This record gives sequence, C-alpha cells and structure tokens, in this order.
Amino acid sequence: MTREPETKTYLGIPLHRPKVAFFEFTSCEGCQLQMVNNESTLLDFLSLVEVVNFREAMTERSDDYEIAFVEGSITRDDEVLRLKQIRKNAKILVALGSCACFGGVNQLKNRLKNLNWVKKQVYGKHPIESGLVRALEEVVTVDLRIYGCPIKKEEVEKIVLHIALGKSVVIPKFPVCMECKANENICLFDLGEPCLGPITRAGCDSWCPNNKAGCWGCRGPAEDANVAYLKKIMKEKGFSEDTIIERLDCFGGFAHFSESNKQRTQRKKKS
Amino acid sequence: MRPELKFVDVISEQQRTQRRKQDLASFEHTHRAVITSVFPLTDMETLYRIQIIDPNERKRFSFIPGQFLMLELPGIGEAPFSISSSPSIHGEVELCIRKAGNLTNFLSKAGRGTIVGVRGPFGTGFPMEDMHGQNILLIAGGLGLVPLRSPIAYVQENRSHFKEVNIMYGTKTPEHLLFTYQYDVWSKDDINLNIIVEKADPSWKGSVGMITEILQDILSGRDNEFYHNTYAIVCGPPVMFKFVCNMLNRFHIPMQKMFVSLERRMHCGMGKCCRCNVGSTYTCLKGPVFDYWTVMNLKEAI
Amino acid sequence: MIFRVFEKKELKNLFEILAAHNKIVGPVEAGRDKHGEPVYAFSEVSDFNALRLGYTATKLPAKRYFLPFQENLSTYTVEDGEWQKSIDYNVSGPLIFFGLHSCDINALNKLDKVLLHSIYPMPYYAAKRKNMFIIGTDCAPQPFCFCRSMSSDTALHGFDMFITDLGTKYFVEILTDTAYNFLKHIRTEEPKEKDHILYMKTVSARNKKFTAQVDTTDLAKILDMEFQSDVWKHWGDICLSCGTCSNVCPTCYCYGVEETVDIDLKGAKKTKMLHSCNLIDFAEVAGGHNFRPERHSRLKYRYYHKHRGFVEAFEESLCVGCGRCGESCLAGINVPEVIASVRGGKSK
Repeated sequence: MTREPETKTYLGIPLHRPKVAFFEFTSCEGCQLQMVNNESTLLDFLSLVEVVNFREAMTERSDDYEIAFVEGSITRDDEVLRLKQIRKNAKILVALGSCACFGGVNQLKNRLKNLNWVKKQVYGKHPIESGLVRALEEVVTVDLRIYGCPIKKEEVEKIVLHIALGKSVVIPKFPVCMECKANENICLFDLGEPCLGPITRAGCDSWCPNNKAGCWGCRGPAEDANVAYLKKIMKEKGFSEDTIIERLDCFGGFAHFSESNKQRTQRKKKS
Repeated sequence: MRPELKFVDVISEQQRTQRRKQDLASFEHTHRAVITSVFPLTDMETLYRIQIIDPNERKRFSFIPGQFLMLELPGIGEAPFSISSSPSIHGEVELCIRKAGNLTNFLSKAGRGTIVGVRGPFGTGFPMEDMHGQNILLIAGGLGLVPLRSPIAYVQENRSHFKEVNIMYGTKTPEHLLFTYQYDVWSKDDINLNIIVEKADPSWKGSVGMITEILQDILSGRDNEFYHNTYAIVCGPPVMFKFVCNMLNRFHIPMQKMFVSLERRMHCGMGKCCRCNVGSTYTCLKGPVFDYWTVMNLKEAI
Repeated sequence: MIFRVFEKKELKNLFEILAAHNKIVGPVEAGRDKHGEPVYAFSEVSDFNALRLGYTATKLPAKRYFLPFQENLSTYTVEDGEWQKSIDYNVSGPLIFFGLHSCDINALNKLDKVLLHSIYPMPYYAAKRKNMFIIGTDCAPQPFCFCRSMSSDTALHGFDMFITDLGTKYFVEILTDTAYNFLKHIRTEEPKEKDHILYMKTVSARNKKFTAQVDTTDLAKILDMEFQSDVWKHWGDICLSCGTCSNVCPTCYCYGVEETVDIDLKGAKKTKMLHSCNLIDFAEVAGGHNFRPERHSRLKYRYYHKHRGFVEAFEESLCVGCGRCGESCLAGINVPEVIASVRGGKSK
C-alpha cells in the first residue's frame, strides 16, 4: 500500500485524500475481510484514501489518521480504553458492521443473567475477561454507521468516495422490502418463513431473501420502522413469541423495541 | 414475411437535434454551461452567473420570471433553482445558491470556468404582462428575494408599464440581507423599497419587526381603486406568505392577483417523478408559481 | 376491429413461430407458496409448456420490462474539468408479451397518458412501450379483483391482439396489422354467429364472478372532503411504510434520481430508481425538512394521487383494480376497505 503522491481531482476540484485506519474489537473481522476481498476496485479505493492502519492487510502502524473504521463490539475494560484513544485520534469514527453498531451476534449473551456461566460454557477454564457486550456508541460518540453482518464492500467504497468528494453519506432509510420486491423475490411470508424485511434498514439489496432466507435484521431498524405492528402480523401468521424475539434480538439492532432487552436499553440510558 | 418484430427507434436522428417540450429527446437534454462569475453574498449564499456554451442553444434559451432550472454536476447531483436574473438576457442566468446539500456544497468549491449542466427552464412564471398598468407589491421574506429578483428586474426594465411599485423585504437579521448593493438602483428606478429585520444589530438604522407591519402601513388608507388594481408577488417560507396573503385578502386584493412560489423536492422537473407533488398537484408543472386561490385549494401546501 | 377464431392447438404453433424470431415474456410459475399454490410471475419464456396462460394473477406486474426498478438515465465520462453526457434508453429490442390480463393492459394505457402523451414524454418508457407487442388474454376473477369498479375489466386498446378461451377454440380480437400478419402463420377462421354467442356467454359468466367492489361515485370530491379524517390515522398506524404496494402496482411510476461518481473518478452515472410515496424520505428536501413525516400522511398521499390527482388530470383513476397491493400488504391494507372507510367517515 504505497502512497500516491498526486492529488486526485474531480471536475477540476481537488479531492481530499483522508488518512484512514481500521481497527477491530470483539468480532469475527469478517467486515474488514470484505474490504480486502474487493480486488477489482481495491486499487481505485486505495488511491482515494491513505490507509495507515489495517492489521488484516499491512504491518505498519500509525496514530495519525482522520477516519477510523472500527469493527466489533466492546466486551472488556481494555477495549474501552483503546476505543476511547481511537476516538481521540480520529476526526470521524465509523462503526463498521452490526457488532460495532449494535453489539451484533455477540450481544445475545447479554440476555442471560449469569455471564460467568456463559464464560465457563464458552471458554472453560481458560482465563479470559469477557463482560457485557456493548455497541461502540455505548462507549464513545459514533459519527457514521455502516450496517450489516457482514458489511457490503460497495457501501464502504461509496462512503469513502463520498467523503473524498465532500458528498454527504446516504444510507437508505426505507426497509429491505423495497429492495426485495425490486429483486422480484417471492415474499418469505408467502413461503411460510418469518422475515424482518419490512422493518429492517435496506442497503443490502435483500441479500438473504434473494436466497430464500428470511431477514434477521442485521442492519437494524429502518427509519420509522413499525416494529410493533410487524410483531402483531407475525403472531397472526402463527409465528411463536420465541421465533419473533429470536429474530429481533439476534443482532441487537432492535434492542429498543425488544421486551427482553429492556434492561439493556435502561443501561444504555445510564451511560 | 417473417413474423419478426422490427425494432422501433422512438427518436429519429433529425429529432435528436430538436428541443421542444413535446420531443422525446428533450427529456434528458442538458445544456452544457460554464460558470462565468462567482460572487459571495453572505456566509451561506453565493451568486453564480452561468452561461450556456453553445451559441445557438444560448440564443434559444429564454425564460419568464418565476421559472426554475435544474442544475447538474455529473455524479454529484442535480437540483432545482429559481432563476434570479433578468429574463431579457438570453442563455445566461444568475442563480443564488445556499449551501444545503451535496450539489451546493460541491459547487461552493467550484470556481469560474467550471462546466455545469443546465436543464430547463421549467414550471410556471409570474404573469408579468397581465400586471401591466397595475400597481405591484413585490414581497419577499428571507431567501424569497432570490426568485423575486427576476420580476424586480422585469419591472425595472419595463418601469413605464407599471403604476406604483413597492418592494417589501424582511429577514431575520441585517446580516441575512441579500443583494444589498442593488438597493440604491431599485430606488432610482422609482421603486419604493421597504426593508425590515426581525432582530436588529447595533448598526441597523431601519425598521424592526415582521414584514406584515410594513405591508399594513403601505395598504392602510388606500382607496378601492388601489386595491382593485394591485398585483402581489410573494416569495418566502409558507408561514410568511400565509400571513402576507391573508392580510392582502383582508384589504380585498383578489386572491387570483396574488402569486406565490412553492418549493418542493424535485428529481425531474417534468411532471414524472412525483416527488414535488403537493396533494396531487405537480409543483414542477402547475407551479412553482401559483396564484393564492390555487394554493388555498391545494391540500398540504401551507 | 377484426375478429377471428382458431383451434386451441394452434396457439402453440403461434407461440413457436413467434418464439423463433422474437423474445417472449409471459406468465410462468415462479414457485409454490406455503399452501402448495403456484406463485406466478412474468418472465422471459421460450418453451410453450412453461407458459401458464390460465394463471390467476402474478404477484408483480410485468413492470420491469417497461418501468424497471432501476435504470441509468445517463452516463458521463469525466476527464479533468471536462465531461460528456451520453444517454441510452435501455431497451434491448422488441418483446412479445404473451398473455397479459385486461387490468395490466389498462395499466399501460394509464401510464401512456402521463409518460407518453403528456408534456415532456419520457423516452425511457416510450422506447420500451413502443417495442412491446401485446397478446392479451382473458382472466378468471379472483376474490381481490375490483377491476370492474375501476372500469378496467376489459381492454379496448393498448394491445395488438386479445384471445379469449371459448373451451375448444380461442376467440381473437385483432387490433394491429402486425398481429393480423402474425396470425397468417396459423390457421384461423371467420367467427360464426355461434362463436359470437359463445364469446358473449363466456364474458358474462366471467363478469358474474367478480366479488370485490369499490364505490367510486364522487370519490375525488369525497377524498378532498375527508382530507382530515381520522380513518387515515387508523391505516397509518398499521402501515409498515415498506413500499410494497407501490412495487407491486402496475401503475406506480414515482421515482428518485441518484447521481454517483465511479470509484475510478473517470465517469459518473445518473440512476433512476422507482420510489414509493409511502417511504419515509419521499418528500424530504435538501436540508432535511420532510413534508410528510407521518406514515398516515404518506399513505393518504398515495390514495390522493391514485384516486384524485390523476382523475383531475386525466378524468380517470390511476388504479386498475388489480388488487395486488392489498394481496401483498402484510398489514392487509387494501383499496376496497380503505375507500369504504373514507366513505364511511370512520375507521373500520
């Protein structure tokens, strides 16, 4: 990843080439993998930004960056300190993926009362610190969110391009249904499957429903999502309370709407 | 004969060079234009002069006060802007642009010589010729002076066609006043200029209050002859033109002689995308200029 | 109009003769639902046996062939400060539509009014529409069909030929000379009086099967009167604002435009995407102000555009009564019930 000395221009206007850094906390690092997967456009992408920190792809390190892409949720005290330091260094802090935005799959364990029991089940006698799972915004201020589990690389590219051009970052406000219908999928409800498409933020191009799998809400709620009424519809369609809660809880995006997560919401307010 | 369909080309070569509203080729036709001057008016607003590059297209490009055009920067965006200059100049327009979105932010970095795209002009305008021989009230609140500047230019250039002409202009603070350098010229052209601000600063010597206060002063004590032969053009936020038009109505100025300009989101400017609809009326086709009677009948306009 | 009848087996011949030289789009089975019932869709089809002419209704109209969900309006090449715009109407060639119901043909006729025959005709639509050859076919009324209330249960124009199943024969209405010439390739005959009688009987038997109804008397006026009615609030409360009603609607044409720069900075695109007035950002302007922030105001707007605004402009509603929106709406919001509630002045 070498520096490209010339300044890029668009329509005669010099573009801003930000220094960016990638960081990961408790996660599978799958979102960052999405980034480097993108071979055909990787070079163009790298000419728009100067990557100074990306453990998955390079060895150099620097604390001089403008945009920090942060993947993962926060589960340990040392992570809190590290994240706060990143926040101090970065002008723009971007939460990358469901774990960073909502806690992701990791936050499922928060539903259980005895976290020590969870730790024992997962890690056995291995000494490890692993507490409550928190989204980045529960610890620091987050400027931008890139939703999804995993993220879509096209979305990150678009966001970076927009930052370089000085365009505002636009993420769909409407639900997945819109994209699913455009893809002419058979409605999952017609197939007898539960689906959170009507309330989940679009932008994934209805990735799961395209493959006949109901949406699990990894991108969190669409703006003005009518969660209460979708729950009622799902009940009327014969889905059990457990099925509905399991879906809504899976990635943590619907925490504000979920009964079982009230505790968590309250904790959020305190912090 | 083989039962094979022949491809139908909806636009012939010849049609591609014509540009009439009824032509299919006019739909996405963009005039290439160049920014010839950039003049900052306030911290937020800048006046751009834009000239169509092709000499023939320039000659043909004309508009009436109140119409808007779509300004485009490829890949950045396209948005509607009221034309803020004199309709007697062909192929060149002035747009006063506030930094508010992608296009306008990018534009604020663009200098003289930048090539932009222009589509239009679109929409309805103020019926200036109907107003000949009448008194005119030109009333603007805030950014409303931008679309009003075009009818003002028309009135200046055709001053003899009008009886009494009053400009009333109100802003939040003196800093928000636009086109301050032109005020003297307007006055010289026998136009009464009344300016009011909601909040004065220490240097402000003029009136302080709401625009309806100066309107009240101008309208009070006139005879029916005046009220019956007066047109009003009102540009500003809905809450402002609602109060102004209600006052005009109290003085029995007919609603069909009051004109307002509505602002909505537009993606096409040609009555297709439906984004600018008020109730179910296309602002881009039936507006942006409406008489107040029509506005009263539009659901969700005010 | 010229009428003909032909033996049923001739239809396969016609299909195959046409398929040899043209692309054909028709109703096919896209899958089965949870009850084992077929789910129909319009798709490109080259095998007559895959065609399902007796289909009930497709979930989605054939919209992607004339109003694609997404298409580029223009592309740009950008070099330094210079740029060039190029326009493509995104049509690959003529298409034969084999088996459109009257409602879907009437939907095209309505779209023609606003997209073809009004000021600023839209070349992207025109290019596709002018390259459609339409074979209409009779339908079996479904419980959700209210096309008869909207006067679109029969199509008088907007197609090339229209076939009606008379049992052993097809009765065909021929509207264009292209269709007339195509039919020369199969054996057809002049209909006899008994064919006429059979046709009338068939149509009248079908008409008796319509159940759903919408009272459209003075509807444009009533909608205006009931603008502030509480019923809108009721429907707004259950609306998911998901846009499905618009996407399954054969006449919804509203869209949004987005411009994007290619990541290599050497080009740009202007893309048109069908939008829905029920989506939260439909009436949002630069700077963030939203003219319709509430669900019910957006849902109401959809009814106003369909049943009032379009009537004002074209003396007819923009709804053909296909019932797809109600069928696809998870919340069960459907035109007959919404209109009835507005007329009743209270929520259901």
